[in-house]
Amino acid sequence: MNKFRSFSNITISFTYLLIFIGGLVRVSGAGMGCPDWPKCFDRWIPPTNIEQLPDHIDPALFNIVLAWIEYCNRLFGAFVGLLITVTMFLALKHHSSNFKIKFVVISAFILTLVQGWLGSVLVHTVLNPITITLHLILALIIVLLLVYGSQTSYYLQFPNSEKKSNYRSDLKTHFLFLLGILILEIILGTEIRGGLEMIRKENPIVDSQFLLDMLGPFKYAHTIFGILIALISSYLWYHLTIQEKKPSGLIKVTSTLIVFLVYSQIFLGEILVFFDVIPLIQLFHLWFASLIVGLVMIQFLAWKQSQIVNE
Amino acid sequence: MNKYIYFGITTVIILALGASWTIKKASSSHSLKNIKQVPNFSLINQNGDSFTEKKLKNKISVLDFMFTNCPGPCPIMSNNMNELYKSYGSVDQVQFISITVDPENDNTSQLKKYAESYGVYDERWQFLTSEIEKIKTLKQEGFMLYAGELPQAHAIKFILIDEKGNIRQYYDGTDDASMAVLRKDINLLLKEFKRIET
Repeated sequence: MNKFRSFSNITISFTYLLIFIGGLVRVSGAGMGCPDWPKCFDRWIPPTNIEQLPDHIDPALFNIVLAWIEYCNRLFGAFVGLLITVTMFLALKHHSSNFKIKFVVISAFILTLVQGWLGSVLVHTVLNPITITLHLILALIIVLLLVYGSQTSYYLQFPNSEKKSNYRSDLKTHFLFLLGILILEIILGTEIRGGLEMIRKENPIVDSQFLLDMLGPFKYAHTIFGILIALISSYLWYHLTIQEKKPSGLIKVTSTLIVFLVYSQIFLGEILVFFDVIPLIQLFHLWFASLIVGLVMIQFLAWKQSQIVNE
Repeated sequence: MNKYIYFGITTVIILALGASWTIKKASSSHSLKNIKQVPNFSLINQNGDSFTEKKLKNKISVLDFMFTNCPGPCPIMSNNMNELYKSYGSVDQVQFISITVDPENDNTSQLKKYAESYGVYDERWQFLTSEIEKIKTLKQEGFMLYAGELPQAHAIKFILIDEKGNIRQYYDGTDDASMAVLRKDINLLLKEFKRIET
């Protein structure tokens, strides 16, 4: 494995961890933990007690726990930004002649800068819901670009790793449809979460069960899309690992994991609807969704490679 | 293969433990302390009816000091109060109180006009007046706010009072971020209140 690939795989793992931490900030209500950006309460290290607050800041804004949750998110974000920068330089060094890899990694780097800027917009707009969703979608795009770069580099070195397999050749639309609908499903999910919070703001003493009923059509669309995703991913799993006599290890692992995660998602979603809107479940529901998107990308690229080498 | 499954499960468990610890910490950090009890007082509202500390009972109140001819921060404060008034329209348990610091000009009819200019026709947002000395004492001793040269030098704080008449927190009435915190705290008190009721 070349240096670029091993490093970019580490970057991908940490980016996923960052998405988890970002979701944690969201569910624990720590988004405004630091009312300013990039500093926190006008300090590079947030105050550890109220006496350290600068005079011009309203002490009512200060909540030490929330400030430190948000601060850890920013610190970890900066760290991942650094990892992505190093990944980019390694790509330029090891794949200086490959336009595709250079292009995706430089795009990931630029989007990371945009992402940091979006973080500041979030604080300045006091957590505008559309910006929150954009922040997540951008994170997913960055992960997908990194996955693409890493896997393309892998197939440059081992072009024949999918040669033994002979998957059905007409699955491209299935993959693209699945990826598109997954992103849509995530946007719908954030709409439901945002909608719940809006309704809860206006009806603070109503049960979350009743709140879900008030949400209306979004909820049904989310369910229908969920079923569609389950159907398509099961279909792909069937054709790639059962119908195909010699699927590659990568295809077997990703296909099985995707199906497992998709059905776990349905289960977690049902818990949220039928029991209570539990923050921890919300967090994993979102995180699993982002994992599925990345895995489908890997599965798609592996399938594509087999089409290229078997032509 | 098994190695990866164990790795995956361990990762999820560690993340879940870390996250639930953080969420727990975060939700318990929201609790609001009791600052002090609002003392007894007796003022008059925009309809000429009496308003005493008893009216604070069984309601969550947001209170500020203002005056209708104020050119400075008051319009921002009143707009913020109005936003809250509108968004809690369906919640009877929340009320809003604005006490004038310029009773010479702000008699009940002036306050009524002012209320109506914000579209307030019900009793969820009341505008109170009385003699200046009474208001000064209430502001300074009851709410621990500076009451030097009234009306100009009045405080821009919003005060959150719980259903037992305790002051729970002060907020900057001109600041959007403080307003977001206030909303969260009102909802928190409402939840507490609901737990006690049921």
